[in-house]
Amino acid sequence: MPFSDLSVTNLAVAHCQVVRLYGQLYSLPVSIAELSLVLFGVSIAAGVLGSLLGLGGGFVIVPVLTLVFHLDIRLAIGTSIVAVAATSSAGAARNVSGSITNLRVATFLALATTLGAVTGALLAGVFDARFLFTLFGIVLAASGVQMVRKHLTQAEKDPGLAVETVKVATQAEERGGWGDQLADRLALHSSYYDQAEGLDVPYVVANTGLGLGLMYLAGTLSGLLGIGSGVLKVPAMDLAMHIPMKVSTATSNLLIGLTAAASAVVYFARGDIDPLIAGPVAIGILLGATQGSRLLLGIRAGRLRLIFVVVIGIVAAQMLWRGIG
Amino acid sequence: MTGSTARAYGALTPPLPNGVRAAVGRVLHAGVFASATILLSGYVVGLVVDRGLYSSPVVEQAHLAGKAGYPHSLLAVWDGIWRGSIEAIIVAGVLVLILTPVAGLITSAVAFARRRDWLFTAISATVLCVIFGSFLIGWAAA
Repeated sequence: MPFSDLSVTNLAVAHCQVVRLYGQLYSLPVSIAELSLVLFGVSIAAGVLGSLLGLGGGFVIVPVLTLVFHLDIRLAIGTSIVAVAATSSAGAARNVSGSITNLRVATFLALATTLGAVTGALLAGVFDARFLFTLFGIVLAASGVQMVRKHLTQAEKDPGLAVETVKVATQAEERGGWGDQLADRLALHSSYYDQAEGLDVPYVVANTGLGLGLMYLAGTLSGLLGIGSGVLKVPAMDLAMHIPMKVSTATSNLLIGLTAAASAVVYFARGDIDPLIAGPVAIGILLGATQGSRLLLGIRAGRLRLIFVVVIGIVAAQMLWRGIG
Repeated sequence: MTGSTARAYGALTPPLPNGVRAAVGRVLHAGVFASATILLSGYVVGLVVDRGLYSSPVVEQAHLAGKAGYPHSLLAVWDGIWRGSIEAIIVAGVLVLILTPVAGLITSAVAFARRRDWLFTAISATVLCVIFGSFLIGWAAA
C-alpha cells in the first residue's frame, strides 16, 4: 500500500492507540501536546535503555512510532536518526576524552559509513514501506541473536587482552609487516590504556579493506532504517579488523554520530524530520542517555539484557508481520 | 613485557594526545547542551506565545499523517526564528543536534592539520564534503 493511502487509517489508529494508552484518564481524542508528552516519556526510556544496553535509541523509536502510533515509517525513521545522533553525541561527549577512542580509525572509517548513510537515506525514499518493515524486522532479530551471544561469551573467562596482543605482534613480526599495507600507510595501529589490566595494550589493525566494505554496509543500513547499526560496526572493527573490543565500542559510538549526521541531513532536506515529533524525542533521548547511567546504577545490565532479548524478539516478529503479512 | 610487545610500541602510532580528544568531547558536550537549550526554549515560547500549535486539530492531523508543512531548508528555518515560529525554533534545535558530530569532526580535523598530518586532514575534509554533498542531494531530491 502506498504511503498516502495509509494516512487516514494512520490517524484513526493513532488516536485509538493513544487513547487506549491513556486509559480512562482521558476520554478525549489525543492532541499533539499529548502525543508530545507520551513521546517524551518513551524517549527517556529509550535513551536509558540505549545507553545501558549499548543499542542506539533507534531500535526503540522506530517500532514505537510505527507499531504503537502508526506513523508513516519514513517519518519514524527520520525521527529515529535524530535520536541516534543524540545518543551518540551524549555518549561520546562523556567517553571520547578517555584514551580509548581511536580518532584516526574513526575518521578513516567515516569515509565509508557516511557514503553508505547517504546511499541508505536515498534508497529509503525509493523502497516501499513493507520492504522497510521487513528489513527492520530482520536486522532487529539479528541484533537480538547477537545480544544472546554477547551474554554467553561474557560468562566465559576472558583470555586476557595482553596475551592476545602479544600474539598478534609476534605474528606481524614473522610476516615482516604489520596488519596490512593500508593500515600501515594510514598509521592506524595504536595502543590504549586498559584500566582493568593496568597496562598499555598495543594493537595492530588488519583487514582494513574488508572493514571499510563492512562499514559501507553498516552506513547503508543506518541511513535506510534510522538505526545506529553499532550491531554491525562493532564486529566490523572487533572481528574483522582485530581492534580490541573496548576500542571498537568507543570508536563505534563516535562513528555512529557522524553516520547519523550524514543521513539525517538527507531526511531533513527531504522534509522527513517533523519538528513536533522529533523535538520531544530529541529532548527525551538526551535526558535518558545522559542521566540513564545514574538512574540505573543498581540494576545489572546482564539480566536486563536477557529480558530485553525477549522484547526484541516480539517486536522483530511484529515488524516482520507488518512487512510480510 | 615481552620483546615483541616492546618493539610493537616503536612501530605504533601514539594515540592523539588527550588534549585533542578532550577538545572533541567538549565540542560534543557543547553541541548537546546548545541543542537541548534551543529545544526547551522552543517549547517555553510555544507555551507562552502560541498554544494553538498544540491544540489545533488541523495541525495535529497533518503532523500525524506526515503531511505537515514545516521549514526544511536552512533559509526557511532562519526566517522562521526571526518571526518567532515555534516550529522553526524546534527545527533549529534538532539541526544543532544533527550537526554536533560534524562539529566534532571539524575539531579533530583542525587537530590533524596542526600536527601537519595532511593525509588525515584530507580524509576529514572528504568526510565533511560527503556530509555537505548529502545535504545538497537530499535538497535536490525533495
